[in-house]
Amino acid sequence: MPEHRLPSRLGGQDSKDGDTPPDVRFIRVPSIAERKLGREYVAPMRLDPRVLDQMQQTIRGLETKYAEALKSQVAMLQILVEPACKGDSEARGRLYSLAHDMRGLAGTFGHPMVSRFADSLCGYLENCEAEDLKDGTVILFHVDAIRDAIENPRTDAAVTLETLEALERLIEANRRDRRRLG
Amino acid sequence: MSHSVFEKLTVLVVDDSAYMRHLLMTLLQALGVTRVYLAIDGEEAWELLNTCQPDIVLTDAAMVPGDGFMFAKRLRSLRGHALGFVPIIMVSGHTDLASVERARDIGVTEFLSKPISARSLYERLIQVLDRPRQFVETPTYRGPDRRRRNTPFAGEDRRGGVALI
Repeated sequence: MPEHRLPSRLGGQDSKDGDTPPDVRFIRVPSIAERKLGREYVAPMRLDPRVLDQMQQTIRGLETKYAEALKSQVAMLQILVEPACKGDSEARGRLYSLAHDMRGLAGTFGHPMVSRFADSLCGYLENCEAEDLKDGTVILFHVDAIRDAIENPRTDAAVTLETLEALERLIEANRRDRRRLG
Repeated sequence: MSHSVFEKLTVLVVDDSAYMRHLLMTLLQALGVTRVYLAIDGEEAWELLNTCQPDIVLTDAAMVPGDGFMFAKRLRSLRGHALGFVPIIMVSGHTDLASVERARDIGVTEFLSKPISARSLYERLIQVLDRPRQFVETPTYRGPDRRRRNTPFAGEDRRGGVALI
């Protein structure tokens, strides 16, 4: 039978200290592995290096295909910058969507810096006002950095990080300008 | 003959990126999972739920129209239904503290930040398959116990007795 208890202190922001404490139940959930395997279940499940290697090979197998897709995506980004900066909301949405995809995938396929630059671009697009976009400098610099990271994957990490920091400084300067101008 | 638990799993993958869906599906297949269902957002995933009856859900966070947070919240609201207990792994590029805390407070089981690696995915899957955390049901929260560390605290320990499902 479920045991009824006082509310947890980890009740989250929504929890309220009312006069009548609401019920709390703790429920033990059985292991899916045990339930599925029955008698074949051997505890505890461990990471099998052979299976992991198989997964890593799968990723390597997709790398070439992804590299081609990445090049097309960067070319598309370059095309979208101008209309996005001129107020075309569809172009802006598409540009964000491409950058979001790169943020999530490039690192998996051996392009960690592309992911970092795309993450910085997504952060900028999520927080900027339409007015900021008119000057497309920040977006253009990000797209250039992404393209460079793809074309020259062996660039010294220190140089790439410096570029990333410069982009972050540029975004911060833009924010300061916006605040100053109201 | 010994079977892998992965062969017996049904997994629902929810992501608006076709590349990400393909990557996750391919990695799951490399693990041996044969039943992988794909949805492009939370709305489509919700419609698929009863058909596929997943053992695990892998969901992105930011999707339109139905995002991963909303989907996870709806899933956890299924009281009295086994699907309400399904482990949810949120796979997201939004790794800021607010997003991670929001996921946790909605009842997401594990958070996996993008870009993912084979190892990180494999480890999260083992975690939810074999080391389930007890569920907590309160009027304001329903999901896995958010206390992961067994650290001393002041007050009554209410986690001693649990119901078994």
